[in-house]
Amino acid sequence: MGTKIVNRIMLITGLISLLHAAFSAAHHRTYLRLTEQDWTHLPVDVIVQTVVSLLVVVYNLIQVVGNFKEIRATVDMQEKSWDTLGNLPSFYTFNHRGMALYQNYEAEPTTNIGNKSSLDVDY
Amino acid sequence: MSGRLTTKTGEIVAYSEAAIRGNISAVEYCRTSMAALSGCAAGILGLNGLLGFLFYFLSVFVLWLLVLAKSGTQWRKFFINRQSLLTNNFMGGLCTYVLFWTFLYGMVHVY
Repeated sequence: MGTKIVNRIMLITGLISLLHAAFSAAHHRTYLRLTEQDWTHLPVDVIVQTVVSLLVVVYNLIQVVGNFKEIRATVDMQEKSWDTLGNLPSFYTFNHRGMALYQNYEAEPTTNIGNKSSLDVDY
Repeated sequence: MSGRLTTKTGEIVAYSEAAIRGNISAVEYCRTSMAALSGCAAGILGLNGLLGFLFYFLSVFVLWLLVLAKSGTQWRKFFINRQSLLTNNFMGGLCTYVLFWTFLYGMVHVY
């Protein structure tokens, strides 16, 4: 999370630096026009600033977009148990024979320790 | 939700369609932004003619390398093939690039 914020700050810094390079280039162009010199190329520091800030922005953009997802479908499935995958709420039924058989059923006293029901068998 | 492809060894691999689409759209977002930004840079640098198009090819290639560097050695986990990452939407990106290139060139060097 922390690196994400750093990436965002770097992204904005790079964009501002690119804008600054544009202003520098325009300024240089105006200067050449006023002193009536011919334009051959930009000063090296403006070129370096433009290229470096472009690289910084593109790199941080890729980091900000986020991680790629795993495309193999089985990897997601492997971590889930059968109880999760086979759970079909539409097929739940509560109107079974237990209603007729255990009409006087009383809930068993909650004496079980941990998660163990008294119906579980000790092996 | 999922598609199937057979690899060269004959083994069938199931892919999650949603994950593939998510990855491709993330890369697409990067490509569009990269086209716009490198167009800006080319305009600032005052490239013209063939040099500007060469700059676009170069930046597409650099973006491809950066995406591969992000996915690391296990790019097969995230993409089915690498070549489509390089060539997808090449012309659309070029249009965006030329738009920003001419705009910034006009703003910086002409006016």
